[in-house]
Parts: sequence; C-alpha cells; structure tokens
Amino acid sequence: MDSRLLAWLFGKKWILLGVGVPILAAAWWIFRPEKLWVNVKVDEPAPFSSNADPQPQYTGLLAARAHPTSGRASIYQGPDGRRDLRLTDFVTSNGPDVHVVLAQSSDGNLKQTFVKGRLDTIELGPLKANQGDQNYDLPDSADLSKYDDVVIYCERFNVIFGSAKLAKF
Amino acid sequence: MIPKVTLTSAFALLSLAYGLQQSAASQDSTKHSNEAKTLETGTFHGKVHQTSGRATIYQQADGEVILRLTNFKTSNGPDVHVILVAVKDADDDTNFLKNGTARVELGKLKGNEGDQNYEIPRNTDLAKFQTVSIYCERFNANFGAAPLEKF
Repeated sequence: MDSRLLAWLFGKKWILLGVGVPILAAAWWIFRPEKLWVNVKVDEPAPFSSNADPQPQYTGLLAARAHPTSGRASIYQGPDGRRDLRLTDFVTSNGPDVHVVLAQSSDGNLKQTFVKGRLDTIELGPLKANQGDQNYDLPDSADLSKYDDVVIYCERFNVIFGSAKLAKF
Repeated sequence: MIPKVTLTSAFALLSLAYGLQQSAASQDSTKHSNEAKTLETGTFHGKVHQTSGRATIYQQADGEVILRLTNFKTSNGPDVHVILVAVKDADDDTNFLKNGTARVELGKLKGNEGDQNYEIPRNTDLAKFQTVSIYCERFNANFGAAPLEKF
C-alpha cells in the first residue's frame, strides 16, 4: 500500500472502526480467550437419592499376574462409615492359601510376580472362592490413600495371582 | 465283580471333585440396593487440555440412562460438548469429524469443573459407543477421553 492510501485510510477512522471492530469481535467469539482464566463450576447431585446405601469410593480393574485373573475390585462405604471391598465379574485360578490383601502401589515388592522380600499388606481374609461376586470387610484403620492396590495373593508361595490399582470413584 | 477298594476310592475321588466344585463359585449379594444401577465407569485422560475425573453411566429404575461426571476438571473453551464416540479410546486432540467416527451428542459441557449429569438417548448402544469425549466442536478437538469398562 502506498503512503497516500494509508494516510487516506487513517483519515477516515470510521472505515478502520467499521472493519476492525467486527474482525476483533469475530476473533473474540471464535477463540473466547477469556475462558483461559474463567472457570465454570457445577455441583449437580447424583441422579438417584440413595445416600442410605453404601456408595463406591474407589474402583479398579484386576490385571492378571501369575495366573489369569480378571474382574473389578471396588471399595464401598456405608452410611455408618463401614467400608468393604467387593469383587465383581471376578475370576482367578484356584490355589493353596490364597488371600485378598491390600498393598501399597509404591511398594517395589508389588512389581514382582514371585515376591522375594516381604510384601507389606493389610489382610482382608482368605479368598472365599475363585469365581463370583464377593465382599470383604475392611479394617477401620486401613488407609486407602496408601494401601491402594488390591492383591490376590498366594501366601504359601508368595505369588501374586493378580492385582487392581484403585482409583477414586 | 469290581473290587470294593476301587469302588471306595472312586467314590472318594468323586466326592472330592464335587467338594472342589462346590467351593469354586461364590455369590455374595450386593449390599447396596441402589435404585440406579451402575453400568460402566472409566477415568478421563487428557494432557494437552488437562482433563481428569471419572465418567460413570447409571441406569435408573425407570430405564433412563445417565452419564455422570465426578471429580471432573477440564480446561474451559469455546463450544465444548460431551459426546459418546464409537472408539475404544481416543488420544488428545483427535478430530472425530475427520475420522468419520460415529458419535452421540449428550449436550453442551455444563461446567469445566465439578459433578454433572447428562441424559443418554434411550436407544444408544453402549456396546458400540465405548468412550466419553470432552469435545471442542469449534476446533474439532478431543480435550479428554474416558474409555468405559463394565462396572
């Protein structure tokens, strides 16, 4: 653009305004940059009114380790504060002295399939059955922020059949 | 004539097998008798547009199916929607329009933070639409995806 045209254009400010402002407005509408700083927070209640029933607090999927193991492990908390672990769609292999325990996912021993050291666990009880839905009481003292991994553990041979990392429900 | 010892040991073996079979399956009843049934759940992942939280699908007693987001957080943006997509999982910024991925629209994102519910159309095939996506319709970009697994 030559300087005379520029000068003419700046002389007629209304042209600049008439073109520039809509362009700026359109750019704003498209990108909505203020949303980078503005948060919209909602807090809808659950679509059911059943706080009298135990609610899931944590859940995770079981992954196989030494033996084919699958299903879901969930921690429920009742209105009285009592918590239990529930296994659903659960299948593992049968074995000697198999227990359900909680372990710390940060524990290096948990990464082994055949544990050589001592696995730091919270005992929930002997496995009731190698298939089917089942519940286990959780001790009140169990700190799930630390013991956040459900392990199907053969105590006799220190073998991890399978485990589930719990995530907040 | 079959020797008595054989018969006895055969019987013992059979009863042992029966006993083992008995111990194989358990069916603890659920301690929660929720009106709503939890069908599926999964957690969000998304790094480019920091998305986290949980997506859960409930079916209510009247048959209505609801998607609920909890502990949810994503980045705010223009024209962001919640959709179900017919994929197993989705990477950040995936363009479902370009991929021609089938989707079900659940509505505009109500808030970029907090618990929120969305109705799922009744005829939706959840076996096909396996992933929840927080999707920016204006730029066709996946902010975050939650692959769903049976609860």
